[in-house]
Amino acid sequence: MTTILETQEVVVRFGVLQAVSKASIKVETGQVTGLIGPNGAGKTTCFNVITGLQEATSGKVMFDGKDITNKSPFKRARMGISRTFQKLEVFGSLSARENILVAAEQRRAWDKSGFDPKTVCDEILESTGLTDVSEFMVGTLPTGTARLVELARALASDPKVLLLDEPSSGLNEEETEGMASLLRRLVAKGLAVLLVEHDMSFVMGTCEYIHVLDFGSIIATGTPLEIQANPHVQAAYLGAETVEEAS
Amino acid sequence: MRIKFNAKFISAIVVGVILAFVINKNWGAASFLSTKNLSTFLVVGVALGGIYAITAGGLVVTYATTGIFNFAHAAIGCFLAFVYWQLSVQFHIPTLLAMAITLLVIAPAIGFLLDKVLMRRLRDASLVVQLMATVGLMLTFMGITLTVWTPKKARTLDHFFEHTKGVQLGSVIATWHRIITVVIALLVAVALRWLLYRTRLGISMRAVVDSRSLAGLTGAKPSIISGSSWALGCMTAGLAGILIAPETGLVVENLALIIIVAAAAAAIAQLKSIPMAFVGGLIIGLATSFSSTFLQFGTDWSYAGEAIPCVILFIALLFLPQARLETGKVRLTKRTERLTKPWEAGLGGLSMVLIVGLWANGWIPWFSGTNWGERSTVWLGRGAGFLVFGLIMLSLIPLIGWAGQVSFANYAIAGIGAVLFSHFGGQNGNPIGIVFVVLVCAPLGLAIALPALRLKGLYLALATMAFAEFTDKVLIRHPSMLDPSNSGVLYKPLRILGITISTDAADRKAFLMFLVVMFALLFFMLELLRRSRWARRWIAISDSPAAAATIGINLTTSKMAVFMLSGAMAGFAGCMLGLQTGALRVDSFPMFAGLPIVLLLAVQGVRYPVAAFMGALGLASFPAISEVFGNPSWLTQLALIGPGIAAIAMAYRPEGAVFYSGRDLAGLLPWRNDAREEKALFTAKERSENIQKDEINDMGLSRPFSEDKVAQLDRVLSITDAVDETKMVNTGGQS
Repeated sequence: MTTILETQEVVVRFGVLQAVSKASIKVETGQVTGLIGPNGAGKTTCFNVITGLQEATSGKVMFDGKDITNKSPFKRARMGISRTFQKLEVFGSLSARENILVAAEQRRAWDKSGFDPKTVCDEILESTGLTDVSEFMVGTLPTGTARLVELARALASDPKVLLLDEPSSGLNEEETEGMASLLRRLVAKGLAVLLVEHDMSFVMGTCEYIHVLDFGSIIATGTPLEIQANPHVQAAYLGAETVEEAS
Repeated sequence: MRIKFNAKFISAIVVGVILAFVINKNWGAASFLSTKNLSTFLVVGVALGGIYAITAGGLVVTYATTGIFNFAHAAIGCFLAFVYWQLSVQFHIPTLLAMAITLLVIAPAIGFLLDKVLMRRLRDASLVVQLMATVGLMLTFMGITLTVWTPKKARTLDHFFEHTKGVQLGSVIATWHRIITVVIALLVAVALRWLLYRTRLGISMRAVVDSRSLAGLTGAKPSIISGSSWALGCMTAGLAGILIAPETGLVVENLALIIIVAAAAAAIAQLKSIPMAFVGGLIIGLATSFSSTFLQFGTDWSYAGEAIPCVILFIALLFLPQARLETGKVRLTKRTERLTKPWEAGLGGLSMVLIVGLWANGWIPWFSGTNWGERSTVWLGRGAGFLVFGLIMLSLIPLIGWAGQVSFANYAIAGIGAVLFSHFGGQNGNPIGIVFVVLVCAPLGLAIALPALRLKGLYLALATMAFAEFTDKVLIRHPSMLDPSNSGVLYKPLRILGITISTDAADRKAFLMFLVVMFALLFFMLELLRRSRWARRWIAISDSPAAAATIGINLTTSKMAVFMLSGAMAGFAGCMLGLQTGALRVDSFPMFAGLPIVLLLAVQGVRYPVAAFMGALGLASFPAISEVFGNPSWLTQLALIGPGIAAIAMAYRPEGAVFYSGRDLAGLLPWRNDAREEKALFTAKERSENIQKDEINDMGLSRPFSEDKVAQLDRVLSITDAVDETKMVNTGGQS
């Protein structure tokens, strides 16, 4: 298992507010890494720093052994970092199929393996179970389905690391279980996943390793069991009962 | 970090060198070191800058507190200046009272009214709709002013204390008007600052920007807060209008053009800092005064002085910080659409040719003029004109409709194309000239957009508007572009495929048919393009720039491509425009003339190529309507007011007419089962929504209070979203 993505002491400051302070996160290939913390802890800001949507005030982002701190978002995507968003960022006036197709076509800019975007698109539609709704404009789809489109689109660029920002929000229980099994399949194929999530049972069930963020700082890292036993985490965030329920 | 600094540093040097060159080359006879010249420069500059500062300050206040950039700001000021003229000059009301009525009664009333009927609806609208509606408002105010106070009669507003001497300042006399202007500007600056930082209302107004919902908690009524913002905006606009009218004359176009000045100052203020807006206004005033005092532009560049605000705007854009890729602004549509199939697009194109063909031969009833089976040459000529404008509209569809880049410059590009074509090819009837013009206009379209590509969409709209103004005042007026002394023929009849294309009465029908065939071909091409990866990419960057970047799309190069395509199409339209007009004048391409084209397209639905055809029909309707009423004088401004009001209506119907009528009309086509099903679904959904509303009303609640009533409401509305969090707490409690 190798570290594919790493942030080193990343700091993000908005005026006087320190949104992220010296956060160091490691993401390994072939496993799901969780990033949890209460609202406003800086999770999404971390995602934005990793994908280049937010400039870090200081600190480094390393990917595949290279320093990508100053690379623009599209270059990072081309290196193999893909993500979904907490608030839906689908291409609402394109069909579900086109959402995935546009990403698959874009992949040809850096992936010269000579694949056919249309075939890739159909495969992904199939594996995510979106074939039935593929011709609908995504703007007209229910939230849960649109989230799945977003994930499918992220997969179409064949990433090495996938960053998922609250993938289960807006999904019902059945869909959440589907999402979890999809993640397990992806990880088994060697993908690295970094997951921000509020649904604790989902996090504890899918993540192999977890970072806990509070007020912009990493307060704990470890396996789900270690995190649940960690008194700092319990005090800061989880609350004892929920941990018991989740375990 | 360092690279950015370097890029800016280099830009600064380049701009500095160019400015130094222009200043050096056009230096007039006036000596810089003479105290007289210097003090004239300062007195005039500071007074002018004061007025600009007031209008820019007002514009920034409304933008910062409402999030809407009001293109009508200066046009409202213009309208109010005319109202003031009516009161003080026509009705002989004393100056102070007339000002009080105009600025303290009428201006706030307009502000509150605008807020109620328009601005509140625009708050959460897309940028395209916001821009179209406020540009529509600008044209409406201009049109109303021109209708009420016809420009045939010259009007003047006296300076304050016109017949007194003023104050001796060194070797120049500062008129009382100018002194009063400066004092008022200072007072307005202090008052705005005090209002926004020291009063409860002002603090609420600023809070609204950060969080609309939180601001409601401070106890201030949201409607009062936003209404006050617009009232304040109208008051500053009116004040500036009244102060500047004696200097520029009461001319609608001149007064409405101050929007470019205000926009440039607002760009310097990064659309948020009120003190910087005042500084920006002052800079523009001083630069204008500097140019009029010391510089002597030769006859070739005689209007260059008027383009100073445009240039300052461009320079300001170069130094603005790069926009962040925003998230959380994805809009969801309410209609299931499907892509047009190629054969359907072909059928559509053929229908267009058929409709225009029938019309040109007089087989479609029309309002006036000719017998059955006949169409007057006047209308044939007009028809060609509408189709040319339709071509310009087509050029905007990939740009605005798909890539979401709002440009007001395509009419100016077409103008440049028309002029270029008169030099290359047009004069000897050589069709190869068209290819040349298209190849020049493609990079031109890109060049206009370059300074604004890395900024947010609003700045692009401002930059393109400034470019349109710059084209009108500087580029086209240069004698090597259009020689005003040359009244000869610019274009020879063009022969393509055995058809003679010219503006001659005998050729008009052939020209019209040629145009509609070209239109149909381009329409077909766009429909095919919509199905291609290019259009997908453009729509992706428009729908969510952040998501587009994170799937590896290079936003800059994608935007560059669409600007080039649009520029090329506008260039082709320009060649046709030249042929259709036959003669061009230096004032053939005013910036304002390009706006109705964009608005009428947007009203029809900027995402759909067919909207360009409907937009051309819309243009045709104005002279037709006017003719029905016997061309009365109160309808002379219909071509401004019509598109203006239609665009304002976009606040209520943001997607455009094609979108809404498409839902109903597509079902009429025999093969569109999907459209019929969708329509049935939509009607059923609407009905069930109404039933739900009734059910809620029957429960006798205006507000849900108790938990079980909330739950009951959730059941009726089948809300499941909100359950997540409560579930967590509940199950946690049980264990």
